[in-house]
Amino acid sequence: MIGSPPHPNRGWASRFLARQLARELRGVARRLLAFVLCLAVGVAAVVIVATISRSLDRGIRLEARNLLAADLAIAGSRPPTADILSAIDGWTGSRRASLREMVTIVGAPRDGMAPRTLLVELKVVDGPYPFYGNLDLDPRGPLSPLLGDDGVAVAPDLLARLGLGLGDTLLIGGEPFTIRGRVLLEPDRIGGAFTLGPRVFLSAAGLDRTPLVDLGSRVEHRVLIELPAATTLDQLHARADQLKAIAPRSDGWRVETYDQAQPALRRGLDRLQHYLGLIALLSLLVGGVGVGQAIRVWIAGRSDSIAILKCLGVRPREVFVLYLGQAAMLGLAGSVAGCALGFGIASVLPLFLRGIVPAEMLDAWQPMALARGMALGLGTTLVFAVPPLTQVLRVAPARVLRQNAEPLPGSRAVTIACAILLIAGTAALASAQAGDPLLAAQFSAGLAATVVALAGAAWLLTRGVRRVPRDGGWVWLRHGLASLGRPGAAALSAIVAIGLGLLVVFSTQQVQSQLRARMEAEIPDDAPSAFFADIQPDQWEPMQKLLAERHASDLESVPVVVARVREVDGKPVAELVDQVGGGGGRRWALTREQRLTYMEKLPEGNRIVAGELWIDPARNELSVDQEFANDLGVHLGSIVDFDVQGVPMTFVVTSLRAVDWESFGLNFFIVVEPGALEGAPQVRIATAKLPRGDEQRIQDQVVAAFPNVTVVMVRDVLDRIVKLLRRLSWGISFLGAFTLVAGLVILAATVGVESSRRGREVALLKTLGMRRAGVAALFATEYALLGLTAGVIGALGGGLVAWIAITRAMELEWKNDLVSFAVAIAVAVVLSVLAGVTASVGALRRRPAEVLRSE
Amino acid sequence: MLPSGGRPLTVLDDVSLAIAPGESVAVLGPSGSGKSTLLALMAGLDRPTSGEILYDGRAIQNLSEDALALWRRGSVGFVFQSFQLLQHLTARENVLLPLELRGDSSAGAAADELLDQVALRDRGHHYPSQLSGGEQQRIAVARAFAARPALLLADEPTGNLDSRTGSTVLEMLARLQRRSGTSLVLVTHDPATARLAERRVHLLDGRLVRDERDEMGQPQPLLDERDEAADRLAHAERGRA
Repeated sequence: MIGSPPHPNRGWASRFLARQLARELRGVARRLLAFVLCLAVGVAAVVIVATISRSLDRGIRLEARNLLAADLAIAGSRPPTADILSAIDGWTGSRRASLREMVTIVGAPRDGMAPRTLLVELKVVDGPYPFYGNLDLDPRGPLSPLLGDDGVAVAPDLLARLGLGLGDTLLIGGEPFTIRGRVLLEPDRIGGAFTLGPRVFLSAAGLDRTPLVDLGSRVEHRVLIELPAATTLDQLHARADQLKAIAPRSDGWRVETYDQAQPALRRGLDRLQHYLGLIALLSLLVGGVGVGQAIRVWIAGRSDSIAILKCLGVRPREVFVLYLGQAAMLGLAGSVAGCALGFGIASVLPLFLRGIVPAEMLDAWQPMALARGMALGLGTTLVFAVPPLTQVLRVAPARVLRQNAEPLPGSRAVTIACAILLIAGTAALASAQAGDPLLAAQFSAGLAATVVALAGAAWLLTRGVRRVPRDGGWVWLRHGLASLGRPGAAALSAIVAIGLGLLVVFSTQQVQSQLRARMEAEIPDDAPSAFFADIQPDQWEPMQKLLAERHASDLESVPVVVARVREVDGKPVAELVDQVGGGGGRRWALTREQRLTYMEKLPEGNRIVAGELWIDPARNELSVDQEFANDLGVHLGSIVDFDVQGVPMTFVVTSLRAVDWESFGLNFFIVVEPGALEGAPQVRIATAKLPRGDEQRIQDQVVAAFPNVTVVMVRDVLDRIVKLLRRLSWGISFLGAFTLVAGLVILAATVGVESSRRGREVALLKTLGMRRAGVAALFATEYALLGLTAGVIGALGGGLVAWIAITRAMELEWKNDLVSFAVAIAVAVVLSVLAGVTASVGALRRRPAEVLRSE
Repeated sequence: MLPSGGRPLTVLDDVSLAIAPGESVAVLGPSGSGKSTLLALMAGLDRPTSGEILYDGRAIQNLSEDALALWRRGSVGFVFQSFQLLQHLTARENVLLPLELRGDSSAGAAADELLDQVALRDRGHHYPSQLSGGEQQRIAVARAFAARPALLLADEPTGNLDSRTGSTVLEMLARLQRRSGTSLVLVTHDPATARLAERRVHLLDGRLVRDERDEMGQPQPLLDERDEAADRLAHAERGRA
């Protein structure tokens, strides 16, 4: 090698690079604050989601026994059989408690008026409860003595809603009970967001005083079992298997062990973690775009230094390593800052999640969540910093002699490697965050398409701006347009980033508001407003009369017979369930408690799509909803054997129906031909339209007259769903906002990094006679146009995503919401102007002479 | 040939120049004559579209960027008109850089000695922005000699300095060059500055038009015997540039 310098020591190069790295880092952090901020915002989002999901997951694991309140439980919609109970009693050292849960109406007596009523979730405890966890009562103490035969313990919410206090009387099934205590915390009930009403505890003896356990009332029976303390997990599962053999799933029994408790909650959490995790990742990726942008501008500003280094004999690849080292240090700083921010926010989050998640389950100190934040932060730095860093390879050393020296020719291999790094890196980050390669691939593909669309639109707009005639109009508008369209402007990445953030926030807001509007306002005018359950056949006539007197209209009622499927086409359900495996709709359809009705003519909203209604006089016929028929695995001609409360009955499917479930009418999956079930034990359900504003009074009077009847106000239920939806969408918007913030940081940072160019512009404009306010207006115009572009593209994109979600995924009707669209764009404009002008304040303040002298 | 507004522009044409070890050569010529381009080609900063640049008999024009950087590290020192110090490093660190790059085990002591030689030992901890132009250029001279290069390339080293400061810097440059036996190529448009070198080549419109040597083979003294006429000529040429 010509004139190669001596290499006296091994490792001299790495020592030199380490020393030089330390020197280069001086003042870099201040100049690249944007880099650190962009990354920190994204990492914080990741850490928050990971912290919540990990702490809930850990909480559920640690609190598993408490959440089941037992080691083992068996649940079903029938009372446990003698076989089950004797098997449990045969286990040495074990104890059991029986629980019954049902939804019913309670009332607060009022002088001279029907009692004021409320839908509640009733829980009847027979035996020691809970075996694990705490049931916090006020006054403190065990439950059974507090309740006695005529007492109840209720949730504070019930007292507030009915205007009652301790010692007052509560009517259950028409019978008076004394409120003896308040239930502050119940171990096996998580959150209040998914329940139909407040909790009421009642003793078994107390329940016997009421007529509630009439045939047909929907009661969930549950036996909690405590095993001896020394029981191993294997022994526990052996006990569970023993129970499953006696009480099979095909008969509607569910056996739960504490280590597998709350499976639905866990599944929900997993899904939520993946979904929110990807939204958080989006903020991080937008942060990554900011990192790339900051590096690009930084390298451009350091070209002279890089040329000097090359001139002095530092090899291009060594310069690259030197700058990669600096980027890595900043990545580390940004990730640490993000972890700290995420930890801080996660620490105060329980305040905002009150009512959804028990505060004691949220522990912000989750080292693995912080590790995830660090790993993804550094990964993002690598993926997004390396491509712009390769610019250092192209800096011509001849710049030391000629400022305008042409950059060195680029290497195709480097370009290809960068493209591979960006694509594979993003996919790897998504995969790490989603935990599911397919979901990660879908996310990456969707993101790539969105970014390409946003970038393409931004490119077209910035090019379009150049063609706008600038020979008239306001001077600040002309200059603003010129700045936006200037070659090399950083507008593109800022537009993409802000646009992406707005897309997430706007699409979430649109889906949420459209669903809410639909639930609040779009209940069909002819839809019933009240739903009555558990009406005894002989109660229907007097109840009909009562409702008619209170001007209720559109009264409809059908009988309901509860049954279970035993066999389909000769195959026992147990066998079919085994074939189905796992879970899902088919297993549910086969094992659920079937609610059958019988009628001569189908109600409105039902349409026969195959076969004919009641055509075979020789056999008992069924008409089945076509989608349910798929789940059940039946078709025209299928023979279905039912167990109708102990009596076997055989039916043939002779018609399939399409049902309009959104009509809120009395619709059934399975309708039976009249004449077959009339003799079976049954109840009636009914719907009615109650005069507006009079619903509560009529509910109170119905319950007073028919204490066993449960009344559900359709609007109440919808209100609860809307409330839950609002909370969920708040969480998603909160994370989406991180993306938006990352976008704004990018804008502010780009403006900040370009401050020397800005400073010179300001100095020249001031020298030419423009006042500071005029210059500020000029800048504001540029940023407003940038925000407008990002806003229009982001809102259009968000609208498209929401439209797909509403019309395709949810199959609902789309309503254009131009006001929200305009507001979203306005928000993008205002925030962009604020971020841009704030970052330009330094440049605006400097005196012209100061700037021009330094040129 | 350089691209200019989309069309290639011929900057140097048929230039043949050989420099002996230890020789000092001044390259003179008006603005745009191709002086700096010649320097950039000799330093491997630019590549010729045709022809050869030989160092120790071996061609450098086809070496990779990495190989060129290594060659410069071991063999070439630079002094520029605009100093080209690294602004984020102190004066001492700027001098240290080439020594550390060579893996010199006594880099610190060598850097301090060089700072002594340019009389700036006490300013070593200052950043370039805290030094005057003359001081910055003296630091650049110390840096240029730090790695004891066989070839020193100086591009208008006094171009941004007043005449007295410029003379001081040139004195130091000449002293260090004589002491180290380094070959010096000094690009200037100032005949007075060019008298520092024992050989002067003149470029005009990219062609080498004159090559002259001092009769005794000794460079002319710079400060003491310089007459006012030479000073005025230098100013006039600088004005034209």
